[in-house]
Amino acid sequence: MIGKLSKQEVILRRAKESDAEKILDLLLRLKRLNEEFDPLYKVAEDASTVGIKYVRDAINSDDCLVVVAQHGTKIVGVIKVDFRKRIFYEPRSDAHIVDLYVMPEYRRNKYGQKLIDYVMKEAKDHGGIVTVEFPSANKISTDFYEKLGFRPILNTYVRHPVE
Amino acid sequence: MSSVSQEEAETKKTSELSLRLHEYYKGKIEVELKCPVSSFQDFSVWYTPGVAKPSLAIADDADLSYEYTNRGNLIAILSDGSRVLGLGKVGPYAALPVMEGKSLLYKYLGGVDAYPIVVGTETAEELVRTALYLSPSFGGINLEDIEAPKCFSVLEQLRKDSTIPVWHDDQQGTATVTIAALKNALNLTSRKLKESKVALVGAGAASVATARLLFLSGLPKESLIVCDSHGILHPEREDLDKLQLRNPWKYSLAIETNGERKKGGIKEALEGADICISAAAPGPGVIKPDWVSKMSKMSIVFALANPVPEIWPREAKNAGAATVATGRSDFPNQVNNSLVFPAVFRGALDVRARSITDEMCLAAADSLASYAEVRGLTDTHILPTMDEWELYTYEAAAVGTKAIAQNLARRTKSESELRDMAYRKISSARNKVKVLMKEGLIPNVPG
Repeated sequence: MIGKLSKQEVILRRAKESDAEKILDLLLRLKRLNEEFDPLYKVAEDASTVGIKYVRDAINSDDCLVVVAQHGTKIVGVIKVDFRKRIFYEPRSDAHIVDLYVMPEYRRNKYGQKLIDYVMKEAKDHGGIVTVEFPSANKISTDFYEKLGFRPILNTYVRHPVE
Repeated sequence: MSSVSQEEAETKKTSELSLRLHEYYKGKIEVELKCPVSSFQDFSVWYTPGVAKPSLAIADDADLSYEYTNRGNLIAILSDGSRVLGLGKVGPYAALPVMEGKSLLYKYLGGVDAYPIVVGTETAEELVRTALYLSPSFGGINLEDIEAPKCFSVLEQLRKDSTIPVWHDDQQGTATVTIAALKNALNLTSRKLKESKVALVGAGAASVATARLLFLSGLPKESLIVCDSHGILHPEREDLDKLQLRNPWKYSLAIETNGERKKGGIKEALEGADICISAAAPGPGVIKPDWVSKMSKMSIVFALANPVPEIWPREAKNAGAATVATGRSDFPNQVNNSLVFPAVFRGALDVRARSITDEMCLAAADSLASYAEVRGLTDTHILPTMDEWELYTYEAAAVGTKAIAQNLARRTKSESELRDMAYRKISSARNKVKVLMKEGLIPNVPG
């Protein structure tokens, strides 16, 4: 149930600097969710202070793509992509999805998929691949991306340095 | 204050007596024979070699186990002791006296043989597997005192996989009797559920099931507001992502309810509501009279926490509530699961049902509400009481009939046949106790 507005009125567009605070709110929700998956994803106390710079930089950078889903005046979803060079491999470029978040009540309406499709188009223009990162224990994300045709390609392992 | 301390003294006295009598009787149930044994010759019929014949017949057709054994009148009361009464996680051994008590109620009120099975496991997967492994022995399974949200996934899985009916009393029993009481309260205050605004206080096992039955009874989802210990559930609450992982049932409520997008706590949830159903933390003072006075006129307040309701009935009435119900027997309108579960299984077993659906719960609620209605509704009489024991026969027949209509019954009976069967079984159970007591085979209470 999405309030009084119909589903069709959710639009996807590139983020503007004026969206930064709303985008940050969504990203912080995503980061707090990640706390569920590993103690090393504990959100830092100054996350919102450093986060706003992160969002603004991303919106203004040519190496990033930030797209939002907007419903009325509300930002209800966001995807943030880093364009990375693959020096040793082909294809040479990678559109790497770092953050994807859709507000709970807008889920199950394919807005997540549409945000990814948006990125896919850009990636196609770049002639590269699309990769995504998320906590290994996030089963919902695993299912979501596998359903969209993604497959695991890289493992990231962690330990603390020797004391 | 004196009545409170008097009540505490009374509770203490009952507790001490209970401990003494549990020790004296060494529990409350045992296995008794139901066939005659006149001589040892009879053993060749009841046991080997004669028993091979029914055994082989069942080997060809498992459903014949309902004809040749007690399976059709026997259920398991399955618990891991993870949320026993208001005591919390006391474990399987400590759950046993409670499960024996439940067994006593099943037999005395519903004529149902219910055997306590407490298990030393805690995971949802193992509980599901245990229930499935046990099902050849039983005609049904009553899940009892299993903590939320585990109880939701266990029930959901078993409702899919089990070929015998599975019931979680803390969810469906409470929800069913609540709906029955609500029907009559709505009737008394000339309301329709689909035009009412409902506030559910508490989002545990009972509330989640109550919400489901409310929707099935016609309440629009957006007309419900659910409040948990962190406040009103709404789609923008910060903890929603975590809920999606940990408690998808509550998550769905947060997404689907609260059309007005109210935020805040119980106070805000009650503002303008017609109905408050609270199964939250024991009170008093959880719900303030001021908040009830901000509900609509002639409001309905169910304060179901035990032992102390969230608001005292008199306070709620003084604040403007027209009809008040609690979970206690010493106030009018006791919303008590015991009005439901013995009849639900009586009905389900008598038609050899495969499942207990929400529609069967509503059939039970309708029957219970009608039973009170024909005897005259007043604001202090919206539900019958356990001593009107014939109500169980009507309720069982309604449940069985619904199972047949939903194609979930292994055998078909008319509603009056079902009522007669229930009557015979329940009166037999009560009479047996009477006879055993009279003969001294159940000894009198000592002292």
